Order: sequence, then structure tokens, then C-alpha cells
Amino acid sequence: MAVSADPPSQVQVRLFAGLREAMGWSEQLVELAPAADATPHQLWRQLGLQPAHPPAGVRVAINQQFATWDASLAAGDELAFLPPISGG
Amino acid sequence: MVAIQLEAEPFEPLHALAEWHQLLAAELGMLPAAESHFVGRVRPSDANDAPLTALELEHYPGMTEACIASLAAAAAGRHGATAVLVRHRIGLVLPGDAIVLVAVAADRRGPAQRCGQELLEALKHDAPFWKREWSQEVGRWIMGNTPL
Repeated sequence: MAVSADPPSQVQVRLFAGLREAMGWSEQLVELAPAADATPHQLWRQLGLQPAHPPAGVRVAINQQFATWDASLAAGDELAFLPPISGG
Repeated sequence: MVAIQLEAEPFEPLHALAEWHQLLAAELGMLPAAESHFVGRVRPSDANDAPLTALELEHYPGMTEACIASLAAAAAGRHGATAVLVRHRIGLVLPGDAIVLVAVAADRRGPAQRCGQELLEALKHDAPFWKREWSQEVGRWIMGNTPL
């Protein structure tokens, strides 16, 4: 009997600009805790991003769309923490 | 009609407008009656008034393009504009070089100007770009935008 393994419960986390350079990495796969309701805010803390409380102006995107800090994350999502935007 | 392009190399806004006009004329038969244009260029000095070597523009590949397209389509829809062009530099941009070109075509000057103004502000606040000023071989990330 074939046994299918559960898909890995991982989220790809990406950092940009000053946040990336402050932390010293640009992206990594992060394992979601089993049965946990993972959110961007939770992963910010889990990854030890600084400061401990996300500063005003830092935004999050899930699968390249702006999202809220308490949005639910699912396996396979791409989560990005975006420092204050300065385009145009 | 929304045309978006991120430019990794210097571009000439007037040439970009000429190309856009050709595209519009081919699609619409003739050019709309009104157009607004905005060209943003790199200042020669940084936030501390020191000479600026270059401005670096980082973006989020995929999301940035999608955001610009969405913002442009929404602004055009709100103002009844016929067509929008956005060209935006990425990478290292030298003082005096164009960073952004926003052009709007519409039936009347009001919608063209209002749409252009609104879209430019939206780009500054809601399109994922980050600027770093390089001066005397030191880079400093800019937090936020210059005043309107």
C-alpha cells in the first residue's frame, strides 16, 4: 500500500532592503509549528526579527499581495516583510 | 490600457512617450485629446545635502509590477482615463537621470491630471520600491518619501 507523506509545512520568508541587511539574510524556508495558527506576526517573533515588535511602516505580503499581520499562513505560502516603501 | 515597464538601464522619457504614442495610435486610431506627464529625476544631493553619487532602487520582482499595474488600472478606472503609462527605474540611478515616468491619456485635462497625480502618490506609498542613497561610498536606506 502506498503511503503518501504529508506535504512539508513550510513557508518561504523573504526580507528586503534595510531589513534584509540588518538581519543578514534575504530568504529562508521556515517550518510551521504543527497545529499552530501561524501568522506574519508570529513568524516575525519566531525568526527573531528586530525590533521584537514590528515597527510602524513595516508591511507584510503573502504570495506577493499585501496582507495583515494577523493573517493566517498556509504551507507553501511566500511571506515577505517589507520595510517602509519609498518609490516614485 | 495600462503599459508598465521596469527599467534596469537609463531611459529617455521623451523616447518612451513617443513609443507610447505609437502604441496608442495603433490601438485607438488617434491620440486622446488630453495628456498629463510626470518625470521624476534623481536629485544631486542626499537628505543631508551632501553630494549624491547614485540612488539605488530595489524592488520585489513580480509583486512590484503587479502592484503598479493594479494601481494604474484602479486610478484610470476612477478618473475615466483612457490609457496609462508607467516606466520606473530599478538598480543604480545617477543624479539627473529619470527615475519614473507617469503619463495619462484621457478625453479631458482634468481626468488626465488628477489620475496622474493620484497614481504618482500611490506609487510612492503602495508600490514596493526601496531607495538607498549612496554618498561618499556610504549607502543609507531612505525611510519614506519626500514631501509633496
